[in-house]
Amino acid sequence: MCGARALLLGVLLIPVAALAEDRLVVDGLIDLREVHTDAAPSYLYGGLGTVRFDDNHDGLRLGRASLALRLRLADTVTATAVIDSYDDGDVNGLGVTEAFVRWRPFPSNSLRWQVKAGAFFLPVSLEHRLIGWSSPYTLSASAINTWVGEEFRVLGTEVEARWLGASSGYRGDIALVGGVFGWNEGAGAVIAQRGWALTDRPSYVFGALGRQRPGLYYEVDGRPGAYGGVVWRHHERLEVRALHYDNRADPAASNLGGDGGWNTRFDALGARWEPVDRFTVAAQYLDGRTAIGPNGSSSQLLLDLSSWYALTSVEFARDRLTLRYDRFSTLQSTGFYGPADDETGHALTLALMHRLAEHWELAAEWLRVHSSFPPRNALGGAATTTDTQLQLAVRFRFRLDGG
Amino acid sequence: MAWVANVAAAALLAIVPVCADGADVAVTVKSVNGAPLTDVALILEAVAPAPPAHRREKLTARMEQRDRHFRPELLVVETGSLVEFPNNDTVSHQVYSFSPPKQFQLSLYRGSVHPPIEFNTAGLVVLGCNIHDEMVGYILVTNSPYHGQTDAHGNGRISGAPPGNYRIRIWAPRIADAPTTLERRVELADAAAVDVTFALAKPLLAAPTPRPGRNEWDAY
Repeated sequence: MCGARALLLGVLLIPVAALAEDRLVVDGLIDLREVHTDAAPSYLYGGLGTVRFDDNHDGLRLGRASLALRLRLADTVTATAVIDSYDDGDVNGLGVTEAFVRWRPFPSNSLRWQVKAGAFFLPVSLEHRLIGWSSPYTLSASAINTWVGEEFRVLGTEVEARWLGASSGYRGDIALVGGVFGWNEGAGAVIAQRGWALTDRPSYVFGALGRQRPGLYYEVDGRPGAYGGVVWRHHERLEVRALHYDNRADPAASNLGGDGGWNTRFDALGARWEPVDRFTVAAQYLDGRTAIGPNGSSSQLLLDLSSWYALTSVEFARDRLTLRYDRFSTLQSTGFYGPADDETGHALTLALMHRLAEHWELAAEWLRVHSSFPPRNALGGAATTTDTQLQLAVRFRFRLDGG
Repeated sequence: MAWVANVAAAALLAIVPVCADGADVAVTVKSVNGAPLTDVALILEAVAPAPPAHRREKLTARMEQRDRHFRPELLVVETGSLVEFPNNDTVSHQVYSFSPPKQFQLSLYRGSVHPPIEFNTAGLVVLGCNIHDEMVGYILVTNSPYHGQTDAHGNGRISGAPPGNYRIRIWAPRIADAPTTLERRVELADAAAVDVTFALAKPLLAAPTPRPGRNEWDAY
């Protein structure tokens, strides 16, 4: 008993000791919201709505409670874990969003290597620049990055080779990035079932998304997926990203639980440009497909997916105002769900982020999503909906470290 | 015979007068549209190799890190100088260089935990931070004891050089002009006051965007 207590005390003291030695940095975020929406039932509560909250789930809500821990294991090795809670009626009230180890050795020439292993976000988003995969621009992510956050956690390893331009007199760098991963046969299920959405609700690695079935990340065919891409940063004013993703799932495979292989691949291209200080324009484009059911079979469901967005953001003294336009579509080529389940839609987001004081931020966002998605008829709703959501957020951020 | 040598020396001095104060070189650097350029490195080098200057003590300098920048962005030091790298930022840094004149790595730190680093080879040392790729700093190491940097008005002054033939050279990270156009030959007489103006032919390369420090959640 005494030994168990000592062990417990020891475990509790490890982070304290690490903090004292400046090896652990903890970033915390508490985000409380007042939400007003007339939206159709949210996917998080079993519906096919396009935004995070709905008519029955608005008012005072927990936007997010987050702890991001970064522990330095060695001089060039860090471990990161992000633990989140959203209170969206999730099966799991608390979950791990990211957990990975990163090794970034000192460069001995212009080429700098980096290796990541664990669970982390696919490097697509140009919106999520801040730790904990949060965005300085809006509360709700674009349709593309909502999908990336929901279904494309990499459970595997990523290698990056970055050419550092500074020593050649070039203020910028170019990185080639590639990864291999497993447990991603589920990638495609959410977009096929629910259609496109704009939320700030990434999935948990080990859990579910709202009340939807747990285990988005599973393996049925033993085939690893892969991605490769390029990131170019120019003069700290322009960032361009291109990525090809293919989970290489066998669409004919399934497990005993009935989880099938969603064969999903896409190309993503995006750029973010800050031509002058305090002014940003950004755009991303994604084109891909997902298929389930044996290839060549008439029972195969094949969806062609496409989306883009453009945003512009202006910073004033303590404020950042962002306007974003999203467009998305899904075309069904074949499938047992019948024809005319195609989805088209667009969205407009207007967000104001205000820095109140040290640690404190206010955010206001108006989001309107107009889309047509016939499967909503099966749930007794109209195929074409316009979901409007107004959110006011108070955010408290803190950092614990040894300094 | 000693007086013969003295007379000869006096005669030589009359031809090439030497003065302890040396010459005074004023340098002005202007951009392509005539604006003054600040913090440009100025180096005055003897054309004929001069014997190395003898110093009694080591020269020291500081390359600080603050607000996720190297301060100063450009430091000019003489070979043999010791440079400290205090991190006075709110975050830790990992400073390195892989430039041929000096390669080093400072493991993650805050404050002044690492001993100063000695720069013994002339050349340009580009500094980076292995955590914050956008941080870039420069240490220009020169064999010449005669160097300086321009002030806010684009003016700099190098004093004390003995008479002789020299090359005055300027450098800054964002100057795009060809290196051959960034140097002049000057002949310095005793106590001479020489003015040199460099007017750049090309616009400066774009300055990096200063990152607002408000969102320090910069992991991505």
